Amino acid sequence: MNVLVLSGYGINCENETLHAFEVVGFKGKIVHINDLIQNPKQLNNYQVFAIPGGFSYGDDTGSGNAMAKKILTNLYDHLIEFSLKDKLIIGICNGCQILINLGLVPSLNKKDPEVAMIENKSGSYECRWVDLKVNNNKSPWLKNINILNLPVAHQEGQFMIPINILKSIKANNLIGLQYINNHKKLAKGQFPFNPNGSRDDIAALTNQNGNVLAMMPHPERALYHYNVPNWQNNTSKKFGDGYKIFMNAKKFFA
Amino acid sequence: MTNTIQILSIEKTGKESSLQKEHNNKSIKIIDGYFFSRNLDDQKFTKISKLISNDVSQTILTKKNVNKVLSSYCNFNWVVEIKFLPGVTDNIATTVKEIIKDNLKSSFKSFELGSTKIILIKGKKEDITKISKNEANPLIQTIKIYPFKQYLNNFKKNQFKIEKVKLPKKKYSKKEINLDISDYNLSLIGKLGIEENDKSRRGTLGLDLESLKTIRNYFSTIKRKPTDVEIETLAQTWSEHCKHKIFSAKIDDIQEGIFKKYIKGATDKIIQLRKDNFCVSLFTDNAGGIEFNKDWIICHKVETHNTPSALDPFGGAITGIVGVNRDCLGFGKGAKPIANTYAYYLADPNKKYQLYRQKNKNPMLPANFIAKGIISGVRVGGNCSGIPTPQGNVYFDDRFAGKPLVFCGTVGIIPKKIRGKLSHKKKANPGDIILMAGGRVGKDGIHGATFSSEELDPNSPVSAVQIGDPITQKKMSDVIIRELRDENLYSSITDNGAGGLSSSIGEMAKESGGFIVNLEKVPLKYNGLYPWEIWVSESQERMTLAVPPENVKKVINIFNARGVEATIIGKFIKKEKAIVKYNKTEILNLDMEFLHEGYPKLNLKTSFPKIKKEKKKIIKKRSLIDKLHKLLSSPNIVSKEFIATQYDHEVQATSIIKPLQGEGRVFGNATAIKPLFDDEKSIALSQAAYPQYAETNPYDMSGCSIDTAYKNLIVSGANSKKIAILDNFCWCSSDEPDRLYQLKEAAKACYDYAVAYQTPFISGKDSMFNDFKGFDKTGKSVKISIPPTLLISSIGVVDKISHLTKITPDDGDILLVLGNTRNELQDSVYSKIIGYEKSKNPVVNSKDALRTYRIFEKANKLGIINSAIGIDLGGIGIAVTKMAIATKKGLTIDLKLKNKISVDQFLFSESQSRILVSMKKNKLANFKKIFKGSHYTIIGKCTGSDVVEFKDNKKIIRGKISDFAKSYKQNIKGL
Repeated sequence: MNVLVLSGYGINCENETLHAFEVVGFKGKIVHINDLIQNPKQLNNYQVFAIPGGFSYGDDTGSGNAMAKKILTNLYDHLIEFSLKDKLIIGICNGCQILINLGLVPSLNKKDPEVAMIENKSGSYECRWVDLKVNNNKSPWLKNINILNLPVAHQEGQFMIPINILKSIKANNLIGLQYINNHKKLAKGQFPFNPNGSRDDIAALTNQNGNVLAMMPHPERALYHYNVPNWQNNTSKKFGDGYKIFMNAKKFFA
Repeated sequence: MTNTIQILSIEKTGKESSLQKEHNNKSIKIIDGYFFSRNLDDQKFTKISKLISNDVSQTILTKKNVNKVLSSYCNFNWVVEIKFLPGVTDNIATTVKEIIKDNLKSSFKSFELGSTKIILIKGKKEDITKISKNEANPLIQTIKIYPFKQYLNNFKKNQFKIEKVKLPKKKYSKKEINLDISDYNLSLIGKLGIEENDKSRRGTLGLDLESLKTIRNYFSTIKRKPTDVEIETLAQTWSEHCKHKIFSAKIDDIQEGIFKKYIKGATDKIIQLRKDNFCVSLFTDNAGGIEFNKDWIICHKVETHNTPSALDPFGGAITGIVGVNRDCLGFGKGAKPIANTYAYYLADPNKKYQLYRQKNKNPMLPANFIAKGIISGVRVGGNCSGIPTPQGNVYFDDRFAGKPLVFCGTVGIIPKKIRGKLSHKKKANPGDIILMAGGRVGKDGIHGATFSSEELDPNSPVSAVQIGDPITQKKMSDVIIRELRDENLYSSITDNGAGGLSSSIGEMAKESGGFIVNLEKVPLKYNGLYPWEIWVSESQERMTLAVPPENVKKVINIFNARGVEATIIGKFIKKEKAIVKYNKTEILNLDMEFLHEGYPKLNLKTSFPKIKKEKKKIIKKRSLIDKLHKLLSSPNIVSKEFIATQYDHEVQATSIIKPLQGEGRVFGNATAIKPLFDDEKSIALSQAAYPQYAETNPYDMSGCSIDTAYKNLIVSGANSKKIAILDNFCWCSSDEPDRLYQLKEAAKACYDYAVAYQTPFISGKDSMFNDFKGFDKTGKSVKISIPPTLLISSIGVVDKISHLTKITPDDGDILLVLGNTRNELQDSVYSKIIGYEKSKNPVVNSKDALRTYRIFEKANKLGIINSAIGIDLGGIGIAVTKMAIATKKGLTIDLKLKNKISVDQFLFSESQSRILVSMKKNKLANFKKIFKGSHYTIIGKCTGSDVVEFKDNKKIIRGKISDFAKSYKQNIKGL
C-alpha cells in the first residue's frame, strides 16, 4: 500500500499527512507537483493520492484555484484515470478546495466544477475543533464511523452549492460529513458548531463512487489522543478520531 | 479589447458583511479587479478570466454585462478604487502572473498587472471616504474615489490604469562623497542622507557626527574619498539595529557594557555552573539554540518590528513574522520553523488619539487600524507559511499611541548532526560562491535598519515599509530544509533582513575573511535601482548561501525546479576586504575590521530618574462580584480568543497544550507543542512583560518578567533544568540619562534573576528609541514615549506527556495557593480599574520563588497536582474565576484565610511567584509531607456547582460562572 502526498507552492500539511498514513501501515512519499508533472506515470505505483492542507498560492484568486488550474493544465487526465480505478483520493482543507475547483468532487455530470468554496460567513479565519457526523457510509473513507471530533482551520470553508446540484448531491448521497452541535444534532448553520456557514452544514463531499473524498476538517491533526483538546480528562485512548479515516483507507486495501 | 478583468462574488462575502455591519450600510459590494498594462483581445480575456475566477460563485464583469449585473444589487453611486503604490509588493498580482505563465505557455508578451480592490456603495460621499480610510493605507496604497457613472465610463473606455514604477533611466557613474565639510553639513548627511545631484536627500542614515568623523579619518588615512555605497554600507552596519551600540557601550563604571556584564554575563556564569550540554549556540547566530534531546537542537528568536508596524501595520507585522522565520532558517545550517509567538503592546483601539507627524498633516493611523492590521499581518504570515502560532498575548496602554510594539518570535528544530557534522556550526570558505535565493530586489525597505534606530519623526521614509510574501518564502524554505541542507550542499547560510545584502554578506564574510560582490548580477523587481539601493534594500524572502563552486549548478537547479530563483552574485575570499563592484567599477573597498569594528564606541552616563507616582483615584464602592466582572472584562485580562482562533495553532499536528484551555476555553499563559512524532518530549512556550511596573521600579519590573515567564513553564510541566529565556528590550529616549538608568537597573535584574533561576539567556534583541515626536490635533508639539518594556520569552522542554498540566480542577478537588500573597497592588490592574490603594509594587524573592517551583515540580511529577494556573494580572481573584470558567465547575473560596491583609489585597494583589493548584483530597497528606515548611494556603475547593462563591465569616458572596464567562469573553471595544 503506497500513498503519494502532494507538495509544493504553499501546500504545508504534507509531513503530518504522510505520517498519519504511515501510522496505519502505508508506505508513502511526498512528491513535489513539478516532479509529478515531469513524470506522471509514477502515479501507477500508488494506491492513494492525497492532497494535504496548506495555502497553495496564498489563496490568491480563491482558495485552491491556482493549484487546480495547474493540475488541470498538466495532470488532469492522469488524475481522472486514477480516480476511475479501485484507488482512493483524499483532499484535506486546501486539498478539498483544490478537488472542488477541479470538479473531481462531486463530479455529477460535467467536467466543470459544480460546487464552489467561498469565504466563511464570519469573514475571519477559523481554527477550532468541531463535531461531525458521518452522513455517507458508502465511501470507503468513512465506513463504520458515526461521529468525529476534528479541527478545522480555514478562511474559505463554506460550500456554495446551487440548488439543483444540491438536490442531486442529496439524491446520490454524496454528503460525506456534516457539522453537528453539542447535542449531536445538525448544527443548522449555527456558529461556532458550523464554523463557516456551509449550507446543510456540509463539511465534506464525495464523488459518486465514494473513493474521492474532499473534506475541510483535518483528520491528520487529530491522530493521537494528546492532540485532542483537554485530552488530560480522558487518557484511556491512544488515538484521536482522525485515525479512523486513515485506518479506513488501510482496510479498503486489506 | 479590454485592459481589465473584474470579478465579483455572487453571494455576499464575509468581508462584505463585516463592512456592511461596520458602516451600517447594506449596499456595499466588493470587486476583485486586475488592471493590465496592455489590452487583452477577446480570446485572451476569456481564457485569463476563466483561469482566475470561479464559475459557480463569481461573475466576470464585461462591457456588455457590467451595468446589468451591478444594477441587480442596487443603484450604486460611489466607488473607491484601492491599489498598491508602484513598487509595493503585490502578492495577488504575482500569483496571477504565475497562473497565466503556467497555463498559457503560448506567445503572451510580457505585461504588467496590478490587483485592485474596488468597493461600490450606495450612500453619501462621506460614507465612502470613511470606508476608504478604514480599508486602505495611503502610505502604501492609492485611493481613488469617484462617482459610479465614471466607473462605468472607465469600464467602457478602457480607462483603468496601473501605475508602474517609473524610475528615471540613468547611467550609473561612481559617486564620491566629500566629507571635508563643516560639522553642520556633515551632520546633515547623517540626519537627512546623502545629497543627490538635484540637491534632494536620500533619507536618514542614522549616523551621528562622531561616526561621520571616524569615517572621514579612515578615508583620509587611505588617501581617497568614500563612495556613496561605502557610506551607506557603514551606516547600515554601524546602525543601532545591527550593532547594539547602547548595550555594548561603556555605561557609568561598567566598562564592558550591560550586554557583556549582565546578559551574556549571566549566561556565561550559568554555563560555568551547570556543566551540561543544554546550551548549544548562544548569541552568535541568528537565533539561540538549546538541546532538545540527544539528536535534536531547538532554537528560538524573538524580533521586534515596531516602526514599520506604526507606518503600515499589516505590512510591518507580516514582515515581522516571516522575517523572524528566516532567523530560524538561518540558524546553523538551517532550522525548520515549528512555532511562532507574538506579543503586541498597543494603544486602546477604542480611543482616538489624533496624532500628527507634522503640524496638522501626516496623521498617525488610528489606533484600531493599527491593532487590526498587526493582528492580521501575523495571521497571514503565520498561516500561509504553515507554521503554528500558538503562543502570544496583547497588552493595551495609552503610552503605545505613538508607537506600537510588535514582537514576533519563532522556534525552530534541527538535527544535531548532518552527515556527521555539527549542524549549528557553519563557515563560508574562501572560494565559496555567494548565492542569493528567493525573492527579487526592489526599492522596498531601503534604510530600514538605520531608520528603526531613529525616533519616529516627520522624515520617516515611506520606503522603509515592506510587505511580506509568505508563499515565496515557503517555497524557498522547503527547498533549503528538505533538499539542500541534509545533502550538505552549502557551507553557510544567513537571512537577508535589516540591511539586506550589505548586512548578510558582511556578516558571513567574517567566516571566510572577505568578499567580492558583483551587484549588476542581482535580479531586480524593476530596472533603475542605484547600486547603493540594491546593496541595502530590505526586500523580503531572501537567503544568502555560501556554496562550494562544485555544488553551485546543482543547487541552482534544485531551486529552479521548485519555482525559486537563485543567482550567483559574488564569492567569498580569504583576504579581509569587503569589495563591491558594479559593472566592473569598484564602488566599495573597505577593510573588514573597519567595517565591523570601526564605529566609535559610546560612553554613556545614567542618572536616577524622578519616579512618576500613580495618580490617585477614589475607589468607588463596588461589590466583590462587580469588581471581578470589571477586571475580567478589562482589555488586559479579557480573553484573546478572537486572536487564537484566527491563528492556526494546529498545523504540523504538534499542538499538545493549546492556547484555549478547558471546556470553557480560557486563554492560557503557556502553550506546548510536541515537535517529533517519535519522542514524547514537548516544547513549552511562554512570555511576560510588565511595562506597567517599569516607572516605579525597573529592577523589580525586570524581575517580575523573568519570574512570570519562568513560572508559566514550570506550571505547564517543563523540566526546570531545561528552561532558557530570551530578552527583548524595547526602550524609549535611550539618549537620556534617566532612561539609561532604568535600562541599567532592568539589565542588572536580568543577571540576578537569570543566575538565580539558572535560566540562560540564549538570544535577544533591543529597540531603543520607541518615541513619537509630533503634534496633537491642536498643533501643539507632543512627545509620547512607550513605558520601558522588557519582554522575556521562555522556552522549555517537558520530558513526559504525563507532566503536562491542565487548568481545570475536578469535583471535590482542594484548592491551594502556593507562594506568599503580600499587599502589592501598586501598578496592578486593580489599581488602574478599581482605584488606588496605598500599597507596594510586586517584588520577586527568588529564594522563596524557587522553593515553591521545585516543590511544585516534584509534586507534579508524582501526580499529586490535578490542575494548576499561574497567578498574575488580577491576582488570586482572577486566577480563581479563570479556573472556574475553564472547568465550568463551581469553586468555593474561604476568605477567612487571607491572613493580615484586606479582602481586596488578598484577591487582587499581583504578588509574584504564586501558583493556584488543585488536587484530589486524598493527595493532600502526601503533598503536605513534601511541602512542609513552605508557604501555601488551602483556600477552598471545587464544588461542581454553577457558581464561584467567596465566604467571609458569615457572609457568602456568589457569582455565576456563566456570567463571569460572559465578562471574560467580551469583545474588546474598537476591534
